[in-house]
Amino acid sequence: MPSPEIIFVYDFKKEEKKIDDFLKNKEYVSIRSDRESGLNFCPHNLRCPKNKAKRFIKKFISRGYAAILQNYVPIMRDRFSGNILILKNYILMELMEEGPLTWLTREGKVEEQIKIRKSDLKEVEHFGKRLVKKRELVNILKLIKKVPDYIIIEFTLRPEGLYFWQIREDKTAKKLE
Amino acid sequence: MLTQKIILRGIGVSPGRVEERVKMITFPEEIDGINEKRIIVTAFLFPDFLTSIKRNNLISGIITENGGLTCHASIITRELGIPYIAGARLATRRLKENMIITIDGEGGGNLR
Repeated sequence: MPSPEIIFVYDFKKEEKKIDDFLKNKEYVSIRSDRESGLNFCPHNLRCPKNKAKRFIKKFISRGYAAILQNYVPIMRDRFSGNILILKNYILMELMEEGPLTWLTREGKVEEQIKIRKSDLKEVEHFGKRLVKKRELVNILKLIKKVPDYIIIEFTLRPEGLYFWQIREDKTAKKLE
Repeated sequence: MLTQKIILRGIGVSPGRVEERVKMITFPEEIDGINEKRIIVTAFLFPDFLTSIKRNNLISGIITENGGLTCHASIITRELGIPYIAGARLATRRLKENMIITIDGEGGGNLR
């Protein structure tokens, strides 16, 4: 799967060299964060100039987060972005036009929702605008059909293809079965 | 027996059924001021709203006009066990302060 170059930083001092190597030859980077407890919003800076990156990483780590550095990908070319939630018998896709995907995840901009039966990959429910063409939907489903249950996959479709951002576990999705 | 009519539909993103009075919310500070059980109604649960919801255990249900199952707010409300219906279009216009409503988060997100 195409995906952005990515590193995880847990300890700024010990991993400073890794950060410097990552920042080499880059003008901007995307910095996300994560921590074990899912009860808080994780801070991020999706377009961080190289010279400010270390300051943000330090700040996130000092607040108890792991910092996630990714290649900065300009959102201008995003066609649509979305989350795919894998349930036991269904696959659920929530989509929005363009990006960044954070507008959907953190600000609730859901413009299309598709529920697909896992056994035959047939669409069983649909709400909202049609952002994704059937052929594109089939291609995405083929790529993710072996992903385990209760996982959310974040992605963007760009002219050059699919771009997968991250895969995260959502144990709470069991409550939706 | 009184029958209940479906007044709005949305997406049941956190399961559970609850009947309570409505509290219309625009700013997160309003959540801190709630001192009786209430179903809060707002456009969407932005990060600051969630911090206030975690602090106030009198929030018995949530309705928002935007959002879906994979939004961060939905995951957090599932963790907290608060029934939540997202994507209930026009909720902030159709629902009124102190109206008694029932959230059915398992029945496809109906509001009665």
